[in-house]
Amino acid sequence: MVSRVVLDLVERVSAVADGATVEVPLGPSDADTVAAWCARTGNELASIRDGYAVVRRGRRALAGDVPEPPARLWLYTNFDCNLACGYCCARSSPQAARRALGVDRVRRLVGEAGGAGVAEVYLTGGEPFLLPDLDGLVTVCVAKLPTTLLTNGMLFRGSRLAMLRRMPRAGLTLQISLDSATPDRHDRHRGRGTWQRAFDGIGTARAEGFRVRVAATVAPDEDDAGDRDSFHELLDRLGIPREDQVVRPVAQRGFATDGVALTVQTLLPEVTVTADGVYWHPVGADHLDQLVTRQLFPLRVAIDEVHRRFAGYRLSMAEAAQRFPCA
Amino acid sequence: MTTTRPLLLGAVAYTPNVVPIWEGIRDYFAGTGAEMDFVLYSNYGRQVDELLDGAIDIAWNTNLAWVRTVRRTDGACRALAMRDTDLSFATVFVTRPGSGLRDLTDLKGRRLALGSRDSAQAAILPVHFLRGAGLAPSDVDLLRIDSDLGKHGDTGRSELDAIRAVLDEQADAAALGITTWEAIGRDELMPGGLEAFWQSPTYCHCNFTALDTLPAERSDPWVAHLLAMDWDDPAHRRILELEGLRRWVLPDLIGYASLFDAVQEQKIPDRW
Repeated sequence: MVSRVVLDLVERVSAVADGATVEVPLGPSDADTVAAWCARTGNELASIRDGYAVVRRGRRALAGDVPEPPARLWLYTNFDCNLACGYCCARSSPQAARRALGVDRVRRLVGEAGGAGVAEVYLTGGEPFLLPDLDGLVTVCVAKLPTTLLTNGMLFRGSRLAMLRRMPRAGLTLQISLDSATPDRHDRHRGRGTWQRAFDGIGTARAEGFRVRVAATVAPDEDDAGDRDSFHELLDRLGIPREDQVVRPVAQRGFATDGVALTVQTLLPEVTVTADGVYWHPVGADHLDQLVTRQLFPLRVAIDEVHRRFAGYRLSMAEAAQRFPCA
Repeated sequence: MTTTRPLLLGAVAYTPNVVPIWEGIRDYFAGTGAEMDFVLYSNYGRQVDELLDGAIDIAWNTNLAWVRTVRRTDGACRALAMRDTDLSFATVFVTRPGSGLRDLTDLKGRRLALGSRDSAQAAILPVHFLRGAGLAPSDVDLLRIDSDLGKHGDTGRSELDAIRAVLDEQADAAALGITTWEAIGRDELMPGGLEAFWQSPTYCHCNFTALDTLPAERSDPWVAHLLAMDWDDPAHRRILELEGLRRWVLPDLIGYASLFDAVQEQKIPDRW
């Protein structure tokens, strides 16, 4: 008996919108026919499983709506930290091993980054100011791309203040963590007295002529509109523009037992490199489920792989949404 | 200051893709001085009624809707443009390999599956072609598969059912529009299933239809901008691909002659 699968394909695919998917039951030797029909007609064979072919109307480019992931490159300069914050997604602390990337690898990474579509670099840790050569590392980055350096802002004294002063102002933003307008909440997570030192660090960095962005991390049970208003009012008084006032939730990663659950399927990727490998996003940089590859170089290969997986996740989610209507 | 109302275009909603198609075309005209908007109808009968009533300025008509518009207006209408693919439409007669059918005349005493009775390509013109081959209506057993009536065969569903009838040996042959024949991969994706034994001369399919009362100063800029859509422009190309053309062209009215004849011969009413 002649297979009717082509007739089923034409009928079902023509009845749906461009980008939508249909399921077509397969006979024992229909798979090649479905693939040939898709190739011939410009539709996409999304998958074959359990006796069904899933076919998307139109080509993937027309299925559309897969946004370009952010063109950011995160570099974990190190994992050790002078603090042991209760919600740290990277499990950093004074006891954490340094696992530093080092200036040579950073130089190579940022050298390749522009050609791989990266538009800006973010340096984070751990606490980067524990590294004795941080100024050289920052200078290497700023020479290639706009750079943001994340810090707790507590170490701007002595040789580290001198190191700060050697850093370029143009093309560099310091992002300093301050969780609240008053010490209580900040100190609860980061340790007694840390709010005041971070607040002083903001003043020091600004006095030294750096652009300063202030970022608060807010636990789920502490997200209060009044506290947010107080936070913004404090920073407004300091003259920090609203675009440099960031409030973000705790991610349920690392030391955090509560917070926003994030997976590679739900997170927009922001390619992140540590001494151990390339990861999906900075919140997962100490988690194997977000490891993309152990190979740091060439960076373009890792970034292309992230983009390929991202498009796949997005399209799979769209398919799933269409396949599980409840009514 | 006076503002000109956008041209209002009617189209029939035979697939969900008509929404992105016409939204894309509407957006293409935005800011050009030939702005347009669109309304969707569930069937061509309603659309032609609304064109004649002046509710819409332009109708995206099938060939049957064009013929009916001409007949109902005594020719006081004009075709503005069409797809390049509308210039070379054809009907293909298919059968099972080994059926012994080699020409239309071989259909005498055999059963032919036709698509919806308002489909020019799969019902009206096939009967006309049989007549041209010297076959009277009683010479061929016609199996009519009427589905999606009102959409003039746009969905193609009746043609797929006609093919199934042939494969199930409920009919000896089926008449298909060339686009359906192409959509199933001609005779290449169903080995041993179907083969074509006759293909008609080409004829025209859809066109943009306006009444003569639409001033040329309104329609001419619209047509000029339509013809400027560019296959090499990715934004235009997406729309052109969805609508099934590479470029818009000026109409060739000679390509409708066979359908005018067929409608008259078969006494197809001007509306149903």
